[in-house]
Amino acid sequence: MQYALLAYNPAEDTDRAARPIPGALATMLDRPEVTGWARLHADGSATTLRNDEGRVLLTDGPFIDSKEYLAGLILIEADDLDGALATARELLGTTRPGTAIEVRPILDGRLRGA
Amino acid sequence: MGASVALDAVFRDQWGRVLATLVGILGDIELAEDAAAEAFAVAAERWPGDGEPANPTGWLVTTARNRAIDDLRRRQVLAGKTKLLIRDTETGPQPPEALMDDAATIPDERLELVFTCCHPALALDAQVALTLRTLGGLSTDEIALAFLVPFETMSKRLTRAKHKIRDAGIPFAVPPDHQLPDRLAAVLAVVYLIFNQGWGGGRVDLTAEAIHLARALADLMPDEPEVLALLALMLLHDARKGARLRDGRIVPLDDQDRSLWDIRQIDEGRSLLRRAMARGRSGPYLVQGAIADLHLQEPRDWRQIAALYQTLARQTRSPIAEMNRAIAVAEIDGPEAGLAVLDRLDLGHYRYFHSTRAELLRRAGRDAEAHDAYGRALDLAQTEPEQRFLAERLAETAPSVRSEPGRAGG
Repeated sequence: MQYALLAYNPAEDTDRAARPIPGALATMLDRPEVTGWARLHADGSATTLRNDEGRVLLTDGPFIDSKEYLAGLILIEADDLDGALATARELLGTTRPGTAIEVRPILDGRLRGA
Repeated sequence: MGASVALDAVFRDQWGRVLATLVGILGDIELAEDAAAEAFAVAAERWPGDGEPANPTGWLVTTARNRAIDDLRRRQVLAGKTKLLIRDTETGPQPPEALMDDAATIPDERLELVFTCCHPALALDAQVALTLRTLGGLSTDEIALAFLVPFETMSKRLTRAKHKIRDAGIPFAVPPDHQLPDRLAAVLAVVYLIFNQGWGGGRVDLTAEAIHLARALADLMPDEPEVLALLALMLLHDARKGARLRDGRIVPLDDQDRSLWDIRQIDEGRSLLRRAMARGRSGPYLVQGAIADLHLQEPRDWRQIAALYQTLARQTRSPIAEMNRAIAVAEIDGPEAGLAVLDRLDLGHYRYFHSTRAELLRRAGRDAEAHDAYGRALDLAQTEPEQRFLAERLAETAPSVRSEPGRAGG
């Protein structure tokens, strides 16, 4: 199966563009089960499009108002959810306190292998 | 009528076993459930006339599997080519051909199923509902009734859980050794939660259901001390069932008629506890089983009970263990000492916290406070026997009623 790992960061973590990817995380991103990844700018750079009963509303900022913002997307292969959770858990261990990862199964996708 | 009752019993026994095997074959709980339901319906139609087959499990699995495959092929024709369905029907795991003839060839996959249903990626209330539905064979109606939620809510909860298992790829497997302790603890927590939900005396006999589940687990994992200990714990509690209610009211342990206790069940519980202790590993259910055993002895050794609750509180960091220690402390050093322990706990949401506190306040002669606490306990009480008991105590401690300080002689 394929899974997407969505990484969330606390709102106060806004200087990430100035920081390099931590070494341990970079090493993990090079692993064969990671089939793709993207690191995103903080939510100040986000623009949200909303479909308001057929009309498109454009707003500045992330889609959901919460303390965390979507910080990245990591695509992995795993036999099942337990495998995906194990990888997510390990990844989370390389991140700063306050980070969260949402593990979501991928319904379909064209992903380039490692 | 007698035949249909006998058939019901066979169905209850077979449901979990048949469903687990079907999930293993079909790879989807919802599909397996539909197929099993169809097979059981066919059996209900044919068995009374034809007689029960020599191998009912094999008969039910084979019938259900054939129905499921027919159904999948039909849907495949309707929906056009679908890779998933091709895999399921043509290259998916196939059962042995001789299912109908030889019970030994049917793998018992109930353990795989219980670990799937109690997977930590599912919400606890979903784990509980799903376990009762799949392993216990309870209907959605019964589960909704037992947990006091509308049918629609329970139905959605079950459907969502089954879809999550399918879509997220929750494995149908017994976890590897390094995960087993945590995962087993989650399974046992679900079984014990089912037991506790039944303990208040609700309308669905969940205590029997929990014991039934634990018996199956003890058969499947005879070397796991915590499984044996949980079964022992529940048997020891349940042995007092006959004495626990009088005229639809809860009877406190001290006031119970001991001749109504189930001695055979107590013996079984104690022998299971000895088996669990012989494994040389302690766990929270073993400690609780030992406490339950002490509660059945006369006179009760409150110091040992308090010490074991302290061990339990340390093992589980559970404020409920502390609450129970407070009861033992009150017996040793008086109600005020017990209340001092209770006052440190943050258990305002827990119904038995208020009834426990009320009881100690009443014994301490603080009737006005006891009255308030009984009121709060009554607000949170979920079953009629508990409500009746609490309503009486509430009336007894009402300001207009003069009552003696100290313990009311039960």
